Amino acid sequence: MNLHRKLTFRRLAGHLFAGPAGHLFGGLFGHVLAGLLVLVCLSHSGWAQAPDSGEFFEMRVRPVLAANCFTCHTGSKMGGLQVNSRESLLKGGGRGAAVVPGDPGGSLLIQAVSHSHDELKMPPQGKLKPREIEDLAAWIKAGAAWPDARVSSGAAKSGAKPITAEQRNFWAFRPVRKPELPSVENEVWVRNPIDRFVLARLEAEGLKPAGPASKRTLIRRAYFDLVGLPPTPEQVDAFLGDTSSNAFLAVVEDLLASPHYGERWGRHWLDVARYSDDRLASTQMDPYPNSFRYRDWVIEAFNDDMPYDLFVKAQIAGDLIAGKTPGNRDAGSEEGRLAGGLGFYGLSSLLQGQDDRVDATVRGFLALTVGCARCHDHKFDPIPTEDYYALLGIFNSTELDEYPLAKAPVVEEYERQEEKVETEEEAFEQFLAIQSAQLVDVLSSQTSHYITAAWQVLGPLERDVERVARSESLDLETLERWVRYLGATPRHHPLFGEWDKLLAARDPTAKQVTGLAASMQELVIEVIAEKKELDEKNKVRLGEDKEARKLNEIELLSLERDRYFLWRDVASNQGFKMPAEFESGILYYGGRKIDRFLDGVWRDHVRTKRARLEALREMMPEKYPFFHVVSDVDEPENEHVYIRGNKDNLGDEVPRRFLSVLSDEEPKPFTQGSGRLELAEAIASPRNPLTARVMVNRIWLNHFGQALVRTPSNFGQMGERPSHPELLDYLAARFVELNWSIKALHREIMLSSTYALAATSIAKNEEADPDNRLLWRANRRRLDVESMRDSLLFVSGRLDASLGGEAANLVEDANLRRTVYGYVSRRRLDTMLGLFDFPNPTVTSPRRILTSTPLQGLFFLNSGLVMDAADALAKRLEDEAGVNSRARIQRAYRLLYGRDPSGDEMRLGREFVEAEPDSWPQYAQALLSSAEFLHVN
Amino acid sequence: MPRNQLPMSRRNLLRTMGTGLGMVGLSPLLANSRPSPLAPKQPHFPAKAKHVIHLFLNGGPSQVDSFDYKPELAKYHGKPYPGGNLKTERKTGTLMQSPFEFKKFGESGVEMSEIFPKLGERVDDICVINSMYTDLPFHEPSLLMLNCGQRIPGTPAMGSWVTYGLGTENQNLPGYVVLCPGIPVIGPQLWSSAFLPGAYQGTYIKNDKRKPEDLVPYVRNPRLKEPEQRRQFSLLEKLNRLHLDREGSPPELESSIHAMEVAYRMQLEALDAFDVSKETEATRERYGEGDFALGCLLARRLVERGVRVVQVYYGNSQPWDTHQDVLRMRELAGDSDAPMAALLEDLKVSGLLDETIVIIGGEFGRTPTVEVSGRIAVQNGRDHNSHGFSTLLAGGGFKGGMRYGASDEFGFKAVEKRVHPHDLQATVLHQLGFDHTKLTYRHSGRDFRLTDIAGDVVKDIIA
Repeated sequence: MNLHRKLTFRRLAGHLFAGPAGHLFGGLFGHVLAGLLVLVCLSHSGWAQAPDSGEFFEMRVRPVLAANCFTCHTGSKMGGLQVNSRESLLKGGGRGAAVVPGDPGGSLLIQAVSHSHDELKMPPQGKLKPREIEDLAAWIKAGAAWPDARVSSGAAKSGAKPITAEQRNFWAFRPVRKPELPSVENEVWVRNPIDRFVLARLEAEGLKPAGPASKRTLIRRAYFDLVGLPPTPEQVDAFLGDTSSNAFLAVVEDLLASPHYGERWGRHWLDVARYSDDRLASTQMDPYPNSFRYRDWVIEAFNDDMPYDLFVKAQIAGDLIAGKTPGNRDAGSEEGRLAGGLGFYGLSSLLQGQDDRVDATVRGFLALTVGCARCHDHKFDPIPTEDYYALLGIFNSTELDEYPLAKAPVVEEYERQEEKVETEEEAFEQFLAIQSAQLVDVLSSQTSHYITAAWQVLGPLERDVERVARSESLDLETLERWVRYLGATPRHHPLFGEWDKLLAARDPTAKQVTGLAASMQELVIEVIAEKKELDEKNKVRLGEDKEARKLNEIELLSLERDRYFLWRDVASNQGFKMPAEFESGILYYGGRKIDRFLDGVWRDHVRTKRARLEALREMMPEKYPFFHVVSDVDEPENEHVYIRGNKDNLGDEVPRRFLSVLSDEEPKPFTQGSGRLELAEAIASPRNPLTARVMVNRIWLNHFGQALVRTPSNFGQMGERPSHPELLDYLAARFVELNWSIKALHREIMLSSTYALAATSIAKNEEADPDNRLLWRANRRRLDVESMRDSLLFVSGRLDASLGGEAANLVEDANLRRTVYGYVSRRRLDTMLGLFDFPNPTVTSPRRILTSTPLQGLFFLNSGLVMDAADALAKRLEDEAGVNSRARIQRAYRLLYGRDPSGDEMRLGREFVEAEPDSWPQYAQALLSSAEFLHVN
Repeated sequence: MPRNQLPMSRRNLLRTMGTGLGMVGLSPLLANSRPSPLAPKQPHFPAKAKHVIHLFLNGGPSQVDSFDYKPELAKYHGKPYPGGNLKTERKTGTLMQSPFEFKKFGESGVEMSEIFPKLGERVDDICVINSMYTDLPFHEPSLLMLNCGQRIPGTPAMGSWVTYGLGTENQNLPGYVVLCPGIPVIGPQLWSSAFLPGAYQGTYIKNDKRKPEDLVPYVRNPRLKEPEQRRQFSLLEKLNRLHLDREGSPPELESSIHAMEVAYRMQLEALDAFDVSKETEATRERYGEGDFALGCLLARRLVERGVRVVQVYYGNSQPWDTHQDVLRMRELAGDSDAPMAALLEDLKVSGLLDETIVIIGGEFGRTPTVEVSGRIAVQNGRDHNSHGFSTLLAGGGFKGGMRYGASDEFGFKAVEKRVHPHDLQATVLHQLGFDHTKLTYRHSGRDFRLTDIAGDVVKDIIA
């Protein structure tokens, strides 16, 4: 709590991947994991390298040493031996040289790992696999080359490795150059430069583009594309009626001006940012209730057409550029500044921490798989491992923060009041706990009386419990609890075994019973006393430090096992289920249950205090809203290379700086704070060869369903090459020319002939280019989950189109808002989202992979959402088209598909609805489940 | 429910006919349509096994109280562990003997704890791996490692890889089903298809209820009677067909329409598969009470119907995480022993065990030393242990009645023939007919596989 408050009043906070540690991941686990985690890196089979090659060492020797020896034989030098360089192996430890190059049999290392040495058998955790031993031996035989000098100690250098001219010449790293426009034969087809690039390729392959899409198809395509909803019949009619040459431009402009545009295109970005409304914790939901403000910020940024370079900078270093953001409406006001300073949310997975932020940032903005360089130089791209740690240093010098969206006095007042209430509540709870504990003492001193009374109920007398309580003047509830506890088995401890025997015998003497009850009382009192004593001693051991992490390391005293469970069952505030369900120990009365034992001034005190606390709570204002943001730590630090990704094995320090291959010469260390602003500027630079290319490729992907580079988050060697490199560069150059305006790019793309192609097939083209890489036709696409659900609600007239605000669960029937506002959980993704290919929000997603599965079919056949939509649609048809079934069917086709029904469709529809009464909802459901409704051409 | 009483032969017919014939007389129009992503596929080489049932005792069961008999532990009770300071999650003290007796079971005489008497009777069909180890003594990375071959989220689960590689036999049921009465630690990441297509994602069923319509989402229409739905579906079919003709039968539309047809038939099949009331009283009694018993019984019914992979989590969160009190194992074994044994017995009797790999175990083991950390209220339990644990394999071409590998004399760390989850995964894939290094998927520019860059097939346990 205190920590929270401290953070709140930091300077205006910035933002990037706010990914706070959650309950279980924050502590020890997070640390150890960060230290040991090795990223997924797949081998490339066919290891035929010579044992003296660097590759053999990296693939077969170093991993074995790292996994088995480094923990004890690097920093901690057990036995005097260090296993982290050739020199130290030659020098050896207490027993002499560990390795004799050329002589595996004579090398202590091999003797130890093959267990042929009399005493020395390594590693202690178990013998290596035979293959591993063979590899080590082969390596020593070949001279034990250790090709890497990274381990040598030395002052921090720039850590940059020279990037060769050849590496820089890879297409993605070459500067963006606006290419010459190619000439084409079919000039008539060309509406703008995009078409030239596309047509030139097709003509070169001897292919012709498909014909243009019909106007109906085109307007439906544009609507789904820009706002994720179908056009209304009226909008379709208006477009069909507009015969001017600017008709389609007008449609596009309308849609770009719609606030629903941001909902659609903002969501595309949220896939990349791996947005969610909670964090991934181990065992419980961990909501992040202010998360939605980032989502809304993204939506607004798209609606406002915030220049993309600013969009990038705001998300990485919004705290550091605050106040200079022209894109927001209230620039200058406190809230306005913040809105511009919000960032790339992308709550990182708690399991991954900062590493995940490095990876998601670089994948998201630059489409490079820098995570590979965590353990070794990137195998395919010019990303030395130092580059990874240069970036990690930046993120490790950044921390989570909250930026209040309220004026300082409001925040202060809230904090003051909250503290006051909490202090009083805590004191009161302590007061009550003391009363409860004292009551346990009182009641435990009457244990034998309660037990003999319980005997009257449970024993052969089988007397009524209420009567017994009355006649013995005992507390009824306590007696009932004893009866329940003593009347059943098994218990968690065997200490009342004698009692069970006595009960089973059924003919004991009164003396036996009272004798046993007395000894049970003695035991109960003794255990309670012993527990108190241990608690006191533990307090001393703990000192003032109650931090949970510390508790792992401190050995505390505890009762012996059976006695502990007796104590728990009798005196603790914990519930248990054996031998019966109890909310707390038998003698424990907590919270309001204690009230009836209190009298006089005690009772008055408790009543007054409760009333006061309730009043205080009611008077508390709601917590002010805030953004989750990040800011620099006070003392930013460089990272060291973790050799092979192992935090226990540190290499050279690397200054915080940008990626080598994206720097003109040797990258300069960043100097301002963590370096986030410098990083943001390096990414959002027109000179960066990747930033614009990557974004125009993402935009293209979402217009066409297929990108120009079909690995949108990997532009490296292992990614795909662009299908139209010149078109990609043209778009990237235009994007920068257009002041990074995404809407301007939409216009250029959508007004091309390429965008307006029909989805029809051409046999010759199909043969030559079945995947439509050359863009000779439009791709037919299934609706994604957002468009699918929103359209169901929209055509049935039930969509709540209000904008922004807190996330709500989608499955709740009352939620009729657009899907983008649905609750996105990393812990438990909504069933419908999961069913319809929503990407895993724990990781950054380059694109949707849409599948058609039977479980989705079940959703259309039987889900409440679809059936409710069908009911509403049936009602709407009646309202809008009257009693005539022809008119209703026609209305339905126009609403859902933007066209009139064919003769067959009309006939089938009429037969269906006229054969059985009240079958309009069933008819509506069939139309809503149809393939035509769920696809866009 | 008479409409579910479909004779077996009819059900088989439906299953094998696939697209062509359905309950509403679908025409063979879609015969040429693109195969579903779950259509059966051939593996790399002839397989010993076709199905996997993974009984996941989540939380980390204690091996020295269950499947790894260590007589030395009793002798050295109360003495320090002599094997050095092995890293665990929390602080532990001296060695603590098991409160349970171990007995020899079966003809093989393999020892098991007295708390698993019924499973013990099946030991001649079980290979007990005593030399499992994993990377870290924490639930999250270990759960991910065992399920997805990685310590961090974002890679596909084994069940996803298997259905990706093999498809599934019954197109009217999901290929990969995950049963848990709640949510295990980490949750759906453990059965995520990650970058594989969503069709390979585990279908999660919360088996804390009994009625099939409460178990499978959207499996039954709450409003329409069967003839009504049949009429409606027939209309939908005709409308779709008209649309398909108009559009020139593009494959993406065909597969979408095909999926809808399968869904229609699945209603029947899934209601039947998830309806344990169709089992005899005697059978249900053998499985016993509780959610896990239901899970085991459902696993059998699903595999009988051709489901490729079924994973049954014992319980919500992590019930086997017995930090405080080792005696809790008796309760846990109490309602898992009978169903696990009954499942193995039924599979054996029907012959399905030969082609079904049954995996039993947790994400890691527990220390033979007593936990003394300040996190617990009483010191009678064991801490997490990634250095050594035990996993049971049965069926699917594995040898039975044997112990494989060994832990040290106190059961702390695996020392002989150590088996990492990657090795286990490689071995399971091998039995299913795959070279684990070649079952790959290209994602973000490179090939990924379940076993990352590791994994050796454990050949000695293969019959």
